[in-house]
Amino acid sequence: MASGCRSLRPVTDFSFDRRAFFAGFREVIALAVPGAPFGFVLGVVIADSGLDQLAAWFSSPIVLAGASQLAAIELLAESAGSAVVLVTVAFINSRHVMYSAALRPRFRGFPRWFRAVGPYVLLDQSFALAVSQPDDMSDDERMWHFLGSGAFLWLMWMCSTGAGVLVGDITEPEWQLGFAVPILFGGLMLLSVSNRAGGVAAAIGATVAVAGAGLPQGSGVLLAIVLGVAAGGFTESRTEVVR
Amino acid sequence: MTLWLTIIAAGVVTYLTRASFIAAGDRVKLPVSVERSLNHVGPAAFAAIAAPALLGGDQFAEFSDDIPRLIAVSVAGLVIWRTRNVPASLVCGMGTLWMILWLS
Repeated sequence: MASGCRSLRPVTDFSFDRRAFFAGFREVIALAVPGAPFGFVLGVVIADSGLDQLAAWFSSPIVLAGASQLAAIELLAESAGSAVVLVTVAFINSRHVMYSAALRPRFRGFPRWFRAVGPYVLLDQSFALAVSQPDDMSDDERMWHFLGSGAFLWLMWMCSTGAGVLVGDITEPEWQLGFAVPILFGGLMLLSVSNRAGGVAAAIGATVAVAGAGLPQGSGVLLAIVLGVAAGGFTESRTEVVR
Repeated sequence: MTLWLTIIAAGVVTYLTRASFIAAGDRVKLPVSVERSLNHVGPAAFAAIAAPALLGGDQFAEFSDDIPRLIAVSVAGLVIWRTRNVPASLVCGMGTLWMILWLS
């Protein structure tokens, strides 16, 4: 039924789809907000780093990845070499390769300009929203929905890190705002597990990430995702043989 | 100047991790089994991000600090499991944590 409707649609030119864009913009807000306190803290770290503040803040629009920005700023403040900074950033952000691979089939029909520009706003949260969209979504809807979510994430990151730089350290009330981040991703995990193989992937991912917490920055998370995905795929292939 | 160049290079590296497969499109082929396993990137990644922060993140925290957090995350988990509503689970989870901290 859904595919029947879709074939009646005129061939899309991927022109701006306001409805899909603002749906993505709105729907990512709940996923984005838990990251705002972290953005503020990053801004405070930038302000206190002793580095040129404008250059350091520009890591927000240029890099747009919080954990790696924090590590890079801290290393640069200790006058670490550029090579060390770049290797660290590459490790922490290597999980994006897995996101990129997972979204590729969904983004396959998108225009060339998107494939160049879209990945810029591929963050944990826009990935989480994109993989949870229904299969029968049309290509142009899916594209503008993703870009809408990216637009909100971008704006929020600029504002929260900028506010941290400008306002500086405030006496932090004992609210443990940062705890919203693991609550969010724990919830996204529960939502994303739809079968036994997904459960195995999550269990292995969690176990390896905890066990590998001492590994060089970011590599534990990458290892956890790779092994979790492999374990999930293995479980799935076995389930099929049994059937 | 070095600072600017390093940050720009870090941006390029990060962009490349994101663009990798999306930009490659059909030019890179993966085995069918691998392509299908990628359905599990979500569960594995979200678990890998959440678990260390929930369990091992605060190695030096007092044990008494962990109990409110465990209760809070259990409440949030229950809410998202029953309602599939992300904002509701965040509000309930953080609300529970604040209530326990406030009462104790």
